[in-house]
Amino acid sequence: MIALVGYAGVLVALASAVALVVQGVRSYLDGGAGAADRLRFPVWGLIGGAVIAMGALELALLTDDFSIEYVARNHARGTPLLFTIASAWAALEGSIVLWGLVLAGYAVWVFRSLEDDDPIGATALAVIGAVAIFFFGLMASAANPFTTLAVVPADGLGANPLLQNHILMAIHPPMLYMGYVGMTVPFAFAIAALAAGDGTTAWLERTRRWALVAWSFLTLGVVLGAWWSYEVLGWGGYWAWDPVENASFLPWLTATAFIHSAVVQRRRGMLQAWNVALVIGTFALTILGTFLTRSGVVASVHSFTQSAVGPALLGFLIVILIGGFGLFAARGHLVASTPRLDSLASREGAFLLNNLLLTLFAFVVLLGTIYPMILEAFTGDRVSVGPPWFDRTAIPIGLVLLFAMGIGPIVPYRAARASVVWHRLRSPLQVTAVVSAAVVLLGLRSVTALLTVALATLVVAAIVRNAHVSAKARPHGYLRSLGGLFRADPGFWGGMIAHTGVALVAVAISFSSSFDTRTEITLSAGESAPFDGYTLTYVAPFAREESNRVVIGAEFELYRGTRHLATLHPRLNQYDNQVQAIPTPAVHTGLREDVYLSLVRIEQGTSAVTIDAMRFPLMWMLWLGGLVVVAGGAWSFTAKRRTRDLRPAEVSGV
Amino acid sequence: MRRYRWFIVAGLGLVAVLTGFLVANIGADLVYYRTTSEVVDETDPVGKGRFRLGGQVVPGSIAADATGVQFEVTDGVVTLEVDHRGAPQQLFREGIGVVVEGTWDGSTFHSDSMIIKHDEQYRTEDGGVYTPDSRFPSP
Repeated sequence: MIALVGYAGVLVALASAVALVVQGVRSYLDGGAGAADRLRFPVWGLIGGAVIAMGALELALLTDDFSIEYVARNHARGTPLLFTIASAWAALEGSIVLWGLVLAGYAVWVFRSLEDDDPIGATALAVIGAVAIFFFGLMASAANPFTTLAVVPADGLGANPLLQNHILMAIHPPMLYMGYVGMTVPFAFAIAALAAGDGTTAWLERTRRWALVAWSFLTLGVVLGAWWSYEVLGWGGYWAWDPVENASFLPWLTATAFIHSAVVQRRRGMLQAWNVALVIGTFALTILGTFLTRSGVVASVHSFTQSAVGPALLGFLIVILIGGFGLFAARGHLVASTPRLDSLASREGAFLLNNLLLTLFAFVVLLGTIYPMILEAFTGDRVSVGPPWFDRTAIPIGLVLLFAMGIGPIVPYRAARASVVWHRLRSPLQVTAVVSAAVVLLGLRSVTALLTVALATLVVAAIVRNAHVSAKARPHGYLRSLGGLFRADPGFWGGMIAHTGVALVAVAISFSSSFDTRTEITLSAGESAPFDGYTLTYVAPFAREESNRVVIGAEFELYRGTRHLATLHPRLNQYDNQVQAIPTPAVHTGLREDVYLSLVRIEQGTSAVTIDAMRFPLMWMLWLGGLVVVAGGAWSFTAKRRTRDLRPAEVSGV
Repeated sequence: MRRYRWFIVAGLGLVAVLTGFLVANIGADLVYYRTTSEVVDETDPVGKGRFRLGGQVVPGSIAADATGVQFEVTDGVVTLEVDHRGAPQQLFREGIGVVVEGTWDGSTFHSDSMIIKHDEQYRTEDGGVYTPDSRFPSP
């Protein structure tokens, strides 16, 4: 019964998506007249069907309806409530239902922004409808989450252990999807602008908010993914250049480039065609990422099963690439901009540099990610590209990006006089010199880490100087002016907040990857061992049974000198129905560094234990920096209309 | 588009050069993955340096000493000896799928890194795939 209702929801959404395309195209042909009336039913049908499908899936999971194959495979009676709910997106079919629901939500949001006479908005909704046809079509065929079993089992297999091992499973995928799927909206508007031959910045002004929302969620999703790897997977890292990680990073890079170049188009009317290309590319990369993770073509820690979904996604990707870029080639001249760059030494020039670097970065990551697939297709050799290659290529690009981030915001638009730039750069450079000298005196010898610290300092110091000077120039008290500054131009200052976060992340990545240490330690109960200035004492093994798993682990006391810092419990979780146990590391977070223990081997009988003991400097700064970046995106998003009102009195760039 | 023609040609040229440079640079960081049969079939596997070897741990073949553990892996056709340095992971056991990384000297594979294969499929002890029907037969 639930299966029937859920499948009916899928069909309603599919039919609505078709209607959305038909009515959207008709509105476009009529010049957009009465678009809202025409599109109302299809849009509400789309969200209604998606909600019914998701609701039915959740209900089936919550009521232990094992007649549905998806439930039998991904849920068991013993699964805790939170992971039961999260199981709805823990496997292939369910994750596509979530995708469809998020897409329908964005469609409603776009619909609510429709104006009376709005061919661009109607066409954009038609494009969203076409994307929805694909995903709901998948649910109706190859990835049907409501397939029933002829013989109903007494219990299910339970959620994937890697997923039900941590609460992040409930949060990370929805956040990532809000970002991934949100990229559909700018794409739809870009296609609409191409179709209408609209060379104005109207589509860009309208998609700014969606782009920022999608970008912020994508950022959060990437950060949470890194945190999950670190806290759950137990290999002692947060980023391994794994294809699945790259899949979320690639659209983030191009979306970041778009957010920047969109500013240039809004302010100076340049880079229009480039923006359209970036948006199409970003959307294509989200589909490529989905293909990489859902098709089983790449070996990865957490890719999903091979199925008919893979070829379907590949086909869809090819359609987008040919259709999107074909349309771009045919009609790109209509949106191409005429104003030319006055001088490379200008804010536009800095934005251009930033865009080239981010695109280059994306290209490098893309090449390393798909190179194994290409090589296997031609030679049959199965290979993986090691992290050293990514590090070697990404670090120089990242450093130049940091540099561009430091000077970009202080360079004036049009043409910068060297004296102006020098005036604004002098005090930040002094701060940078002092900080660099200090860290060298403190013993920092790695050139890469030193450069990272120096450039990150430059970025933050230039932002602080800018805020300081701007606030002093305002009439009210200093603190009030500072607050007013941030409220008056959230677009600019949100960006500066995000830049500060990126600077923190850069320093954290540099330190945690340059100065990490790893030691394998074997101890018997009661023994102690020194570890990089700490002392680890193995107290005793423990084992306990929980509703859905058996947990075995070891208790450690962590000391520095005689000071007791923490009691740590690295452990292994053995889930029902699963041969392999899942390690859960224990982490002690300190201001200077994390101490990270991962259980390698434990003998309950002889009480001997082997652990991987690791140290990661400045890890907290990575998570904090990530959240600051997200906060910057969120701040940019607020009060867009006020920015427009205040445009004449703008104070940025002082 | 005429205005942009040379731009596009130059851009494509740049991308081609960049791709060539990056791919030429990839060499040492490529980790090849082979099954046991492929190691034996390979005409010059010794010259390949480090690679990853994947297979199932042969039951009854595991022996441990002070420095590590010796065992055999198989793909069901060809069985090879592995000499692994370091403590095997908790999950290491007979019949499980492993990926070891190291070098092949023609008779023994010397590894120093071991990954226990994780996948999202639920495996039975003999390596088969669980289905709800096989796991919980209805009464």
